[in-house]
Amino acid sequence: MAAENGHTAKEIIAIRRADGESRTLAASLPRLVLEARRIAANVIHGLHGRRRAGSGENFWQYRRFVSGEPAQNVDWRRSARDDHLYVRELEWEASHTVWIWPDRSPSMAFASKTARESKLERTLIVAFALAELLVAGGERVGIPGLMAPTTSRSIIDKMAQAMLHDDADRLSLPPSFVPAALAETIVLSDFWSPIAEIRTTLAGLSGSGAHGTLVQIVDPAEESFPYSGRVEFVEPEGFGVITAGRAESWAQDYTTRLALHRDQIRAETNKLDWLFTTHATDRSAAELLLFLHAGMQVSKSGARTTTIKAGPAA
Amino acid sequence: MMGLPLAFTEPLLLIGLVSLPVLWWLLRVMPPRPRRIEFPPTRLLFDIAPREETPSRTPWWLTALRLLAAALVIFAAAGPIWNPQTGAADSKAPLMIMFDDGWSAASHWDVRIRAADELIANADTDRRAIALVPLSEPNRDITLMPAGAARVALRQLAPKPYTIDRVETLAAVDRFLKATGDCEIAWLSDGVDTGRGEDFVAGLGKTIGDRSLTIFEGGTSAPLALVAAENAAAKMTVKVLRTDSGIAIGTVRALDQKASPIGEARFSFGPQDKETDAAFDLPVELRNDITRLEISGERSAGAVQLLDKRWRRRAIGIVSGASSETAQPLLAPTFYLTRALAPFADVRLADKGSPQQGITQFLDQKLPMIILADVGTIAPELRERLNAWIDQGGVLVRFAGPRLAQAEDDLVPVKLRKGGRTLGGSLTWEKPQHLATFAADGPFAGVVVPKDVTVSRQVLAEPDAVLATKSWASLEDGTPLVTGEHRGKGLVSLFHVSADMRWSDLPMSGTFVEMLRRVVDMSGYTSKPGAGVAGEATAETVAPLHILDGFGAFGPPPATAKPLPADYRDRATSDHPPGFYGPAEGPLAVNTLASADRIAALNTASLRARHATYTNAEPRDLRGWLLSTALALFLVDAIIVAVLGGGIAALLRRRAAPAMIVLGLLFASLSPAPSRADSATDDFAMKATSQTRLAYVVTGNADVDSIVKAGLSGLTLFLAQRTALEAGDPVGIDPARDELAFFPLIYWPIVPGAPKPPQDAINKIDAYMKQGGTVLFDTRDAIEAPPGANGAAQTPGMQTLREILSSLDVPELEPVPREHVLTKTFYLLRDFPGRFVTGQTWVETLPREDDEDSAQRPARGGDGVSPIIITSNDLAGAWAVRPDGQAMLPVTGGDTRQREFAYRAGANIVMYTLTGNYKADQVHAPALIERLGQ
Repeated sequence: MAAENGHTAKEIIAIRRADGESRTLAASLPRLVLEARRIAANVIHGLHGRRRAGSGENFWQYRRFVSGEPAQNVDWRRSARDDHLYVRELEWEASHTVWIWPDRSPSMAFASKTARESKLERTLIVAFALAELLVAGGERVGIPGLMAPTTSRSIIDKMAQAMLHDDADRLSLPPSFVPAALAETIVLSDFWSPIAEIRTTLAGLSGSGAHGTLVQIVDPAEESFPYSGRVEFVEPEGFGVITAGRAESWAQDYTTRLALHRDQIRAETNKLDWLFTTHATDRSAAELLLFLHAGMQVSKSGARTTTIKAGPAA
Repeated sequence: MMGLPLAFTEPLLLIGLVSLPVLWWLLRVMPPRPRRIEFPPTRLLFDIAPREETPSRTPWWLTALRLLAAALVIFAAAGPIWNPQTGAADSKAPLMIMFDDGWSAASHWDVRIRAADELIANADTDRRAIALVPLSEPNRDITLMPAGAARVALRQLAPKPYTIDRVETLAAVDRFLKATGDCEIAWLSDGVDTGRGEDFVAGLGKTIGDRSLTIFEGGTSAPLALVAAENAAAKMTVKVLRTDSGIAIGTVRALDQKASPIGEARFSFGPQDKETDAAFDLPVELRNDITRLEISGERSAGAVQLLDKRWRRRAIGIVSGASSETAQPLLAPTFYLTRALAPFADVRLADKGSPQQGITQFLDQKLPMIILADVGTIAPELRERLNAWIDQGGVLVRFAGPRLAQAEDDLVPVKLRKGGRTLGGSLTWEKPQHLATFAADGPFAGVVVPKDVTVSRQVLAEPDAVLATKSWASLEDGTPLVTGEHRGKGLVSLFHVSADMRWSDLPMSGTFVEMLRRVVDMSGYTSKPGAGVAGEATAETVAPLHILDGFGAFGPPPATAKPLPADYRDRATSDHPPGFYGPAEGPLAVNTLASADRIAALNTASLRARHATYTNAEPRDLRGWLLSTALALFLVDAIIVAVLGGGIAALLRRRAAPAMIVLGLLFASLSPAPSRADSATDDFAMKATSQTRLAYVVTGNADVDSIVKAGLSGLTLFLAQRTALEAGDPVGIDPARDELAFFPLIYWPIVPGAPKPPQDAINKIDAYMKQGGTVLFDTRDAIEAPPGANGAAQTPGMQTLREILSSLDVPELEPVPREHVLTKTFYLLRDFPGRFVTGQTWVETLPREDDEDSAQRPARGGDGVSPIIITSNDLAGAWAVRPDGQAMLPVTGGDTRQREFAYRAGANIVMYTLTGNYKADQVHAPALIERLGQ
């Protein structure tokens, strides 16, 4: 229980810090936002246009004025060209739903000596920043099992509030739910769960045909295994303990095993046409954010490819 | 045990050391505790097949550390004892203890007695007879005695106050050894060779043959000795001797006749010095009172130097009859006399004026000795006074010359012929005469007759029957050169030549100095009746008065002390122990060591002997040391293991704050706090003095402090822009803690209701103001002043300020007058606005100048800078700027230039504190230039 409290406290601190940092990050990416807006305006006809008239901002069509309509709807400029009255119609826009799952389990609190911040902090930063960007782009952002999708401009505050008041268990992987077919799911986790669990979760998420991205956020120490001597390794979520007499001799085997694990995950995502990438916390958070944003633009344009990668190759 | 003074109470337990190799093996195979690391991908590690786990070896040095600790525990269990009680040897032969008991043994006498006691106790256990041989008593017969009697004899020994000659005892030792046959010998040496040390060592080696000899030596600090006290012209010096080497320091104390301290002088030995000087820089009157010099903390007669009247410097008056000769001062007789007397006496020259006035002056000063160089006629009444003075012990020395040769009076020892006698002149056949003899019974007896002194002119005495007895020195032809005569208690002496070079070259020779010294020695040091000893015959003997014992303390003379001649100048002996001899009012000092004596370390290397040291300490049980060392080693081991296992890292990660506090406390307790404080003070001083800085008193109210800091920064900026003063960043100070002297101006914002600063701070502020600093008190509340004539004094800030000033010495104050220099030091100002304009600015009242001239002066400065300026306009608030350069606070007045004027007021105040009343003079410059132009 004490450990639980400790983790909660750590999480609160991480959320507070990530709150500020993610805003900075989001603010530092105006070019990215601009770029995204430009793409949105030129390539995909506005924000996921419904290709029908409705409430929106972008022009859709002129139609003849029907008597009985309020006269203020008449577009006098167009009507002056000929003898008919025209009404200017706008495209009906609906926003996309993006589910973001930041893993807040105890294992995410790990930070080796070389890392500036813990995995949890990095995860939250990226999640908040991404949510801010998406909302700014008119999307709806939600957290599975925690926060319903919303377009609120103060999305970071909302997410932080929801997390701070969350008293459920901290799961590594999102709870089983089925997003809508057009929804996008982004899972930020370290994915140290056994491949079977990952497979099950992935199957649930993609059940309705929704697409998504898995981002494995790792500490540099988890990739390089810089340990030597007699070391007792403890799984922070209580899944066991193992003692290595000479940890340095385990490094080779560990690297091989890690590569295998990632290959297994990648095989799953490829099968489902999802994206999988890894991100080490010694890299810049902006790098990952850029990649995610680009990946989502690409996925919306339909030209999805699985070869896009960011961060150090696993 | 193997030469070490180490023994074990339970030596059998040392067998336990055999178990160490087993322990080694056991320690080698035990693996250290693993480091515990949280590692999220641990589940991946489960899949890695466990490898062959070879036990990780403990590092060899860790094992060695543990073995060392274990060995220490075993040693401790065996009961080690340092400096055990050791017997000299295991034999049944009688033991002869030779005991150095001169003054040089006195400084650690109890240690030597204890060592002898121990020897006697050991001999007692073995039932051996003992012979105790104090080396100072060559005549005592050496007998064997039982331990009890030996102990009594030992208790009766006391160090002798004089230098002992060990060699003289050798004969008795030889006799005893021949009679006894087999014998064991222990020599408790003091390690000091005071003369014939080598002879004794050689003689002892021959005497004892191949009997076993143990020399106890060292283990105590070597004795120090004082010799050759000298009352030189500027200071009294004394030589400190020692036998060992190394850097050492100490003090010599000077005491007067009543044993009250007069002064202390430090001495220090360089690494190789065997002797050094201690100098007392005291006025001559005080130095003349010194009767005893001793080394502090050294209890021996050798470390005491007794001084009698011979060490006193006398004041001697010189009157020259030839006042015109001052035109050539280097040829005047006074010059020769002064130079000859200066090494041992204080020479006073008569003031300008007639010789009569000079003599009167010296008689009034009651000088013991007056020298008249070629003074002719002396007025009869003065002659009477001189005669009376001589009767009471005064010493009058006259030198001949042209005036004396013509005069006639009775203040000469012999009747003189009129006119001088010239030798070697162009009209004489005789050659210049050489000095021939000094009278054997005269004061110059023993002075070497110089070969090169010639006399070309002299005054001649009428030959009569007593001339020969009065003649102290004579020339080759038998004519007297110096004559002298005792009159009453005093003395009249005449040098038949002049004191300059015209009549003889005696004044140029070293003999002249020596002759004068002898004459001076005959004078008392004041002219009071009884003080002079000039009348005493040289052959008189004086009885002992106070005698030093071996430890350097005065006591009544022992029965063995014999009277000695009054001119005794040698070192003390057993017949004449050191001390004072003769009458209580003018005693003769006899010292343990003569001024030429030196001491050296005794070299016993040529003797075939065991060497032992005086074990200065009791037997010491080492168990505590060993066990605590072992404990410390175990602690080190625990820390190392913790570090190896990553425990410290875990500790720091999990309990970072408490661990840091603990570590911090540890370091804080280890690091010397004062030095930190010093360095902090130094840093402050460096910072404060490397640049001129404005200072403000930190009130503790964060708002006020930040505004004041910003205000002074703003003013500093303004000053840098407009004036030549480029000051550093302002400094916040705490008057109780920081040094104030570095700052020309201290701005003191008053926070209403703030407690009065502690008295320390008030005192420092007071001193600061007295030493020329200026404090600018700002109550910052002019706007809160209630209306009314006396409203400004009723604000809460003023009340607080009044409270603070109540214990300060504040001068009379007045509102800044129009012509005050403060209004003109840089800008021409009418008033001193800050954020408010209504407040009055007060400074020290200028002295009123009522004369018309000053009424016209456009500026008055007073003499210094007003130590206090009081305002309520909140100057700092007006000066305060934000980091972006904008003003921090609004100003109240309607004038848009009010802030500018506030800055100008600040510039004027700073310039006033830096330049003082300089501008008050400067404003006259046009008038002065105009005047110069006309």
